[in-house]
Parts: sequence; C-alpha cells; structure tokens
Amino acid sequence: MNFARYARHPFWQAVAILVLAFVVIEWGIPALPGSAIVPASVVLQYMATVLVGVLIYVSDSEERWALFKAPLHAALVEPRLKPVRVTGLVLLPLLVGAVTLGQVRATVQAPPSLRSIHPAPPPEITFRGKTMTLTGLENPLRARPDSLPAFVAEGRRIYYQNCLPCHGDHLDGQGHYAAGFNPLPANFQDNGTIAQLTESFVFWRIAKGGPGLPREGTPWNSAMPRWEDFLTEREIWSVITFLYDQTGWKPRTWEKTGGEMRDAGGGHD
Amino acid sequence: MWATNLKIVGVVLGTLALYTLIANKIPQLQSEVPQALTLGANVTPEQLVAAGEKLFNGAGGCTTCHGLGTRAPNLLTDEKGTGPIGARCGKREPGKACKQYLFESLDNPTAYVVAGYQPIMPVMTKQLSPPQIWALIAFLESQGGTVDVTASDIPQQSQLTPGASPGNPGGSFAGGSTDPMAIINAAGCLGCHKLNGAGGLIAPDLTHVGARRSAESIRRKILDPASSIAKGYEKMAGIMPKTFGTMMNAAQLEALVQFLASRK
Amino acid sequence: MTPLLLQAAADTSRAYGEFPIIGARAAVWIAAEVHLMFAAFVLGVPLFAVVTEAIGIFGKDQRYDRLSKEFTRLLLVAYSATAIWGAVLTFFLATLYPRFFAYLTAVFGPSMWLYVCLFFVESFTLYLYYYGWDRWQTGRAKWGHWTLGILLNVWGTIVMLIANAWLTYMMSPPRDITPTTDPASIKLWHAIANATWMPINVHRLIANVVFGGAIVGAYASYRFLAAKTDEERAHYDWMGYVGNFIAISALIVLPFAGYWLGREIYQYDQSMGITMMGGFMSWLWVIQAFLIAVLFLAGNYYLWIGMGRIPGAERFRPYTKWLLIVLVLGALVWGTPHTMIADSQELAAMGGSHHPLLGALGVMSAKNTAVNLMILTTFLSFLLYRRANKRPVVPWARTGTLLQGAMFALAAAVVLFFGIRGYFVDAIVRIGFSVYQVGAVLSCILFVTIIDVLMARGAQSLGVIQWGKMPARSQYALFVLAVTFTWLMGLMGFARSGIRQHWHVWQVMQDTSPYAATPALGYASRMISLCVLIFLSLVAFVFWVGGLAEKSTYVPPSKGEGHVGH
Repeated sequence: MNFARYARHPFWQAVAILVLAFVVIEWGIPALPGSAIVPASVVLQYMATVLVGVLIYVSDSEERWALFKAPLHAALVEPRLKPVRVTGLVLLPLLVGAVTLGQVRATVQAPPSLRSIHPAPPPEITFRGKTMTLTGLENPLRARPDSLPAFVAEGRRIYYQNCLPCHGDHLDGQGHYAAGFNPLPANFQDNGTIAQLTESFVFWRIAKGGPGLPREGTPWNSAMPRWEDFLTEREIWSVITFLYDQTGWKPRTWEKTGGEMRDAGGGHD
Repeated sequence: MWATNLKIVGVVLGTLALYTLIANKIPQLQSEVPQALTLGANVTPEQLVAAGEKLFNGAGGCTTCHGLGTRAPNLLTDEKGTGPIGARCGKREPGKACKQYLFESLDNPTAYVVAGYQPIMPVMTKQLSPPQIWALIAFLESQGGTVDVTASDIPQQSQLTPGASPGNPGGSFAGGSTDPMAIINAAGCLGCHKLNGAGGLIAPDLTHVGARRSAESIRRKILDPASSIAKGYEKMAGIMPKTFGTMMNAAQLEALVQFLASRK
Repeated sequence: MTPLLLQAAADTSRAYGEFPIIGARAAVWIAAEVHLMFAAFVLGVPLFAVVTEAIGIFGKDQRYDRLSKEFTRLLLVAYSATAIWGAVLTFFLATLYPRFFAYLTAVFGPSMWLYVCLFFVESFTLYLYYYGWDRWQTGRAKWGHWTLGILLNVWGTIVMLIANAWLTYMMSPPRDITPTTDPASIKLWHAIANATWMPINVHRLIANVVFGGAIVGAYASYRFLAAKTDEERAHYDWMGYVGNFIAISALIVLPFAGYWLGREIYQYDQSMGITMMGGFMSWLWVIQAFLIAVLFLAGNYYLWIGMGRIPGAERFRPYTKWLLIVLVLGALVWGTPHTMIADSQELAAMGGSHHPLLGALGVMSAKNTAVNLMILTTFLSFLLYRRANKRPVVPWARTGTLLQGAMFALAAAVVLFFGIRGYFVDAIVRIGFSVYQVGAVLSCILFVTIIDVLMARGAQSLGVIQWGKMPARSQYALFVLAVTFTWLMGLMGFARSGIRQHWHVWQVMQDTSPYAATPALGYASRMISLCVLIFLSLVAFVFWVGGLAEKSTYVPPSKGEGHVGH
C-alpha cells in the first residue's frame, strides 16, 4: 500500500503535521464554541513553534534525518523529478516576492496595534484637587457592609445613566455605540478585565478615562471620558461596587505584609 | 576548517538575526518621559500655540467635551456665524477682551456659561499649571484670532512657594481677595450649593444659611466638613472637600464665614 | 512635583556628556552589557572549575582535573577582558553621566574602595590557582590548591555582591530617601541592603553558573568541530556534554529565583511591577518565553541526539517524540500572549485584544503550568539519557521504576490541578499556588534522582558511551544554546534597568538627558544583538588565544599512549 509508505516517511509526516497544525489553528480553534478567529500574529507564532518542533523531530536521530533529507535531495538532483524542481524554483521566488509585497504594500487599514490594556497606574492621582494614593487604596464603601445593597443600587442607576451606551446592558462591552470605537469598550464579563484588577485601579481608569492613559496604553483614541468631571468620588465607588456585584468577579486584593498593604500580583499579562 | 568556522558564524548570526527580527516585528512602543512644560522668558507665540495644541488634544482632556457632540461648544469650528473661538471670544462677555474671557472660562468656568449648555466644565487652573493654561489660551486665540499672550502673562516659577499646587499661586483663592463672592466663585462652592438661586443641588442651599447655623458652626463646617451633616443630605456625606481650610488664608476664611452667617 | 522642578532647574551643563555618533546612552549600554557578560563568565566558570576539580579529587578521575584546568586557562584572558570593560564602563559613566556618577560615589564611595581591593586580591588568587596547578598536583598540596579555587569564588562573589548593591540601589532605593536627601548623609549599609539586593544576588549567582556552562559548551563544540583526532573529538564531546548538563540543571531553578525577584519588585513598588509585567514591557516576556522555549528544545534535542552514541538507548527512542510533543505544547501555551497584536478587524471579531478562548492561556496559571511541565519533561529526558546504557540489577528494579513513574504522574497531576484551579480563585490565592506547583516538581526531581542513584548500583552495562560519535548538528545546537543564553541575559538586563524608565535612581534622581526615554523593544533588541556580537567575537578571540597557548606547550604523545582516559 503506497499510502502507508508515505505515512511512515518522516518527510511526509512533517508536511502532514504542519498542514494539520495550520488547519487546527486557522479553522479548528475559531470553530470551537465561544471562540473567535486567531489573529495573524498568533497564527504565525504558533506555526513557527510547530515548525521548530517538527525540525527537531526529523533530525534527532541519524536514520530519520537521512530519510527526511532523501526526498529533498532527490528533488534537487534526479532527472525524472525535473518538473518538481523547476516548479519549486519558480514558486519559491514568487512566494518570497508575494510575502515581501504583502509587507510593504500600503493598505487602508490601520496597522495592528500593541495596546496594553492594563498600563501601570501612577502611585497617586489628583481627584478634583484632592490627592489620592492608589497603592493600598480600598473601596471605602466596603467598610459599610450593611448599606452595600444601597450602594449597588446607586451604582446600577449611575451605570445605566452613564455607562450603558458603550459598555452595554450585559456589561460585556457590547453597547449600542461600541461598534464605532477602537479600542472597543472594556468587557467586564471577561476574566481579563476587572477580574484581574484591584478596585483602586478601576477607580483610576474611571476617574481619568482615555485622556489619563499613559503612553503604553496608547493608541489612546479611547473614547472613555474622564468621569471625575461628571461623577463624584462616592458615585464612582458605587459604580465599581455595582460592576463587581453584577459580574460576580471578586476584586484583586492587596497583600498584607508587615502591616503594609501592597499588591503582589505577578503575571505575564 | 574555514567551512566549519563559516558555518559557526552563520549559526550565530542567524540566531541573533532571528531574535532581533522578532523583537522588531511587534509594534514598537517607547516609554516617553512625562513632559513638564517649561516656557522661558523669551517664549514665542508659535511655541505657546504649539504647546497649547498638544494640551488641547492631549493631557488637557478638552476634546472630551469640546469635540464632536453636544456637551460643550466646539471651539475649533464656526458657531452660529460667530466664527471659531479665536474670533468669537472677544464678543462673549461685554467688557472682557478675548484673553481675559478665555482665562476666566478656564479659571472660573461657571462665571459665564454659553446659553444652551450646562455648567459642567471643571476648573482647569486646578488641573493645569499656569504655563499650560497660558499656552492653551494662546492656542485658542490662534483659532481665528490673534495671539496676544506673551511671556509676561505667565507667572515665573520663582514666585511659587514650595509646596503650593501650581494652579494655586500664593496658597489662597482669588489672589487673596477678601471679597466673599470672589472666594465663593473661586472655590467652586456653587458646584454643589445654591446661593441666590444659582448653583448646584447636591448640597444645602446657602441663601439663608445664617438662619440655620451660627458663624462658629459655619466655620467648623468649612474646616471639617464631616463635623456635622445637614438633615436630608446624609447620603452626600463625605463629598465636600476637606481641603478648604488649607486653601485660603485666615482673612479670607473669616470674610467668608461672616458673609454666610449674615445670610439670614 | 516642586523638588523635581528644582532639580530640573539645577541641571545646568556638565550633568551629561556626549559621545560621538552612537550617543551617550548607547556607549554606556554597550560598555555595561559587555562588561556584565564577561563578568558573568569569569564568575560562572570558576564556580564549576572548582566543582569539577573536586570531582577529580574525590572521584580520582584525571579527566575532570584536566577539564578544570582548561576552564581556568580560559579564565585568565577573560579576566583581563572583564577588567578592561569595567574600566571602560567606569570612564564612560564618569565622563558621560558625571552628575549621576558623582551621586553614586557620594553614596557608595567606601564600598568602591573595597571593590578595588578585592579585585586585586582576586586577580592574584587566580594567578596562583592557574600557575600553581601542576606544582600542587598531589596530596596535601592538591587540597591547598583546591582551597585557592574556593577562595577565588569567595572573592568573586563578594565583588559581585558589591556591584549588585549599586545597581539595585538605582532600582529600589530605600523609601526614606527622597530627591532632596543629601547623598552624603545616606548610611552605606542602608543603601546596600535595599529591597531587591538579595533577590538579584541569588538570581545572578545561579544565572552565572548557567552562563558559564553554556559558554564552556560552546567552547567545547568549537573544539569538537575543529578536532583532528578521535581522542580530541571524544574529549570535547564529553566536555560539551558536561557544560550543557550544568547549564540546563541550573536553568531549571533559575525561574524560581526570578519569581522571587519579580515579587520583591512588586512589593517595593506596584507601578514598577505593572510596568514590568503588564504595561510597557509586557511584550518583552513573550519574547523571553520564546527564548526559553528555544533553550528547553535545544537542550533536549542535544540529549536526544546524544542518545545515538549510547548502546542500549534505542530502547527509549520511541518515547522521545512524546516528550517533544509535551515540550512543543508547553512552548505554545507559554508563548501565547494575553494581549494580542491584532488589526482592527481581528480586534472586532475577538471583542477586544483578549482572545475569548486562547486568552485563557495568556494568564499566569497557564504559564506556570506549562513551564513546570516543561521542566519535568526535561528532567525525564535526562533520566532516560542516564539510564540509556544501564540495566538495573537490584531486585526491586521494577518496583523502583514504577515508583518513579508514579512520582512523575503525581507531580504532573499536582501541577495540572493547581493550574486549572487557579482560574477559579482570587488572584491572591492563585499566587500561592505556584509554590505548590514548584514544590511538586522539585520534590519529584529530588526523590526520583535518589531512587535512580540507588537503582543504578551495580547495574549491568550495555556498553560504554561512544564519546565523539556525535553528528555536527548537535554541536550547532550547543552554539544556539550559548547565543540564546547570552541574548537572554541582555534582554533581562534591559528589562531590569528599563523599568526604572526616566529615572537614574527610582523616584530619587531623574534622568534629564536627551536619552531619558526608555527605548522600544526593537531598538533594545538591536543593541542586545550588537553587545552579544561584540562579546562573542572577543570570546572567540579568547578561545583562539587559549588554543595558541596550548599548542605551544603541547607535546604530542608517543604512539599508543593516548591521552588521559575516557
């Protein structure tokens, strides 16, 4: 059986693995429930890793390496494979040319951007002329647990008055205006946003909005207003209480070390 | 032997090239130094305008409202035939030249609110330093008008007393004036309190405060807002800034207290 | 704010110098990085010159003694290169950043004098150690000689601790020091014992061993490729293996030291920590993950090829592809960025720059799990390699192997359990989980090794390792390892000093030079590549000179004598 012979040959195995990996990454992962397309940059990264793995596989023993090289060698020297050779020699420069063209061609699309969603907050901010130290700052409303439901209700009202158009009814960043924005409004249901943050960080982002983003949070054409101009300190804390209450996430807490409160969060974010 | 050496060099250079390429393929981001605006004594109007434009589009946060949308007038385009802000600024308030009008709208935004808009603008002199404010004014004037801001408008930094916030030269409101209404305007009291029908709703009306509180009680309330909360405003506790005591001098505080206590 | 403005005003001329063409920052960058690479080399190599000498003494194996001496010969030249680059760095700092250098000398003056003294003592210890090698070859004299080697390491380590104090002070000055503090009034010990000093010390000590091993591996592979006789090839094949073994073993514990350092940085200043891990530098860690994946893959690859020269290894060959699959999957997970690079269409489809599904692989839980499994896999590779030509004869051999298998399974299960559980708990709890994962992996390594040593007693040999029977591919893998280690060191150096951003001394002394902005990763990578290239060219020269010295004194052995055993 000819097929079985191909299936055992390292060269064709290598080709098959690469094709299979590409199919899985490009079409398999997006087809899973709740998934989405994989960005081109990540596809490239995954394929490069798989390629390295495949090369290691074919070359880690002498016999396999010799077998792997055989078809390549044959294609380069054997007279009967001249069509393959010529096709390869024509296609390869064309492929390189096409990739180069793709790289340098001007498009109407904005270039891919690297935007840090959670940039480093300043150690302290000025809120309406009042200096607030963010490090170790707790939500003051949580100090009054019995009136927490009232704060959540107040936060809900404020959210629906101010935040709804962008961040949406489900707090998932899918408000009516969301489609018009880049960057998109934050999705609070996602495990990567408020679930990863201390409440003081969320306070900073709400109070200072897009204009308050540091450079690494750019391109900061973020439409988020500086809510300190419209909401009071108490109102912002209420909204934060509401966000956590509604999504069910727990805010990241400060670590207690020697009486001081500091964050010990690590993470390749 | 040379073939081996070349191969080694090839492997080394190839590895280096790969790593360099990867690091260069991702979008590049440089961490800039936060710019403190320093304008010398011989700053040109062009420099001021350029710095102001940056502020207008950037750290000033002006475009949040003064851009597209209806929250505030668009400053860069024509409004009802009066031209952009540089052209219309001199005609807004009678008796105020363009420069004075613009400074007032940044320093005390509620003093004059254009008809049809809400008094929501924050006091920019609290957020920006004097050089930034004047750069912003220069930029706004350049929008259809003539720039007449000069270096002499900008208070020199040596006048700053250490520790004072930049928007608050001398450590007191309104240049140390003891006119109660000037203090009330500068401190932004009417953002929350109502006085003679003007002002906000989230704090008690001060029009007749003298009938409810003694001078002593008003003084204590200004210095320590948490000391007493008016009935019906318990939910708003904690909103009144605790910093007024440190923001005005004793004469100003007394003038303010006596003025309010006399409002029976 | 005001003190900073005052400081800016005080910045008249003579605070900064200028360097032609490349600029002051690039000049200091190159000088510091190349100096550091040489320093790591001359600190790492003595560490295991002493270890290999001890193996030679205790195991009565002349081969190790010869290896140790060969390392030390490389040291001599590398040592003067370190000193030269150190001097270049000092002069560059004094002329290009005079105000900052004056500040450092005001704080650290006495420690600098001590540094110079120790450097002097260290040099002469090294001379004694190398030139006395053949004189003090036997008996008590050999023990004295070995003590010299230990002393050499002690001086070297203290020198490193002192230099570390200077640079960690720049990163994490004690909190009571402000821009207005008079530098002369700062207590020396107070400045030395700052928050990140100890973590950096430990991290660098381990990293130096890794680095020394990798460079020695590259040296051996160069000599292997250039060898003319089978004996030479066998010797350098073995040397490359030892270098690689030491580098990879030390690499396995390095992430834990790095984790401690990162934690201290977070505790010292949260915004510095976020700048490092989540902010401006977050992409640096994706590149780091890629480099470390290369290290793991290349290290394992070298072992697997090496199994080709061991009789009996064919029994284990079919398993290596499963190990490879685990490593590749681990590398995929580890390299998955949390915040992805995407254009606007892709962003819209994903609903933000977090992928709804793959984004889950971008967080700490997934990455810790991946790297711990990769470490386990690498250890398993070593184990198979070790056992390749042995057949255990102890009666409980089967039970022992099953027990080892159970330990691997248990460790992997613990790692996976806490990895998955990490998604369902608070961040504060999740951070603690990594300790359990690491604990499981390290204890698995420890106990499996103990069982393995006991089981290997009197084991039947299936044939000796045929040193020298290695394809050239494997030696190039060692080169890739050395280049990657060096590059990684440059990258981590950039991360460490880059998170200070526009500060010479974090929140104490601001960088007001034209080069105050922290450059983007692309520029940094070009600088790192340049530094690596300078370093490797000089090291190649050192190796070449080392070869010259050997040739001039080398007496070809008469026929049949061969050189000391394999």
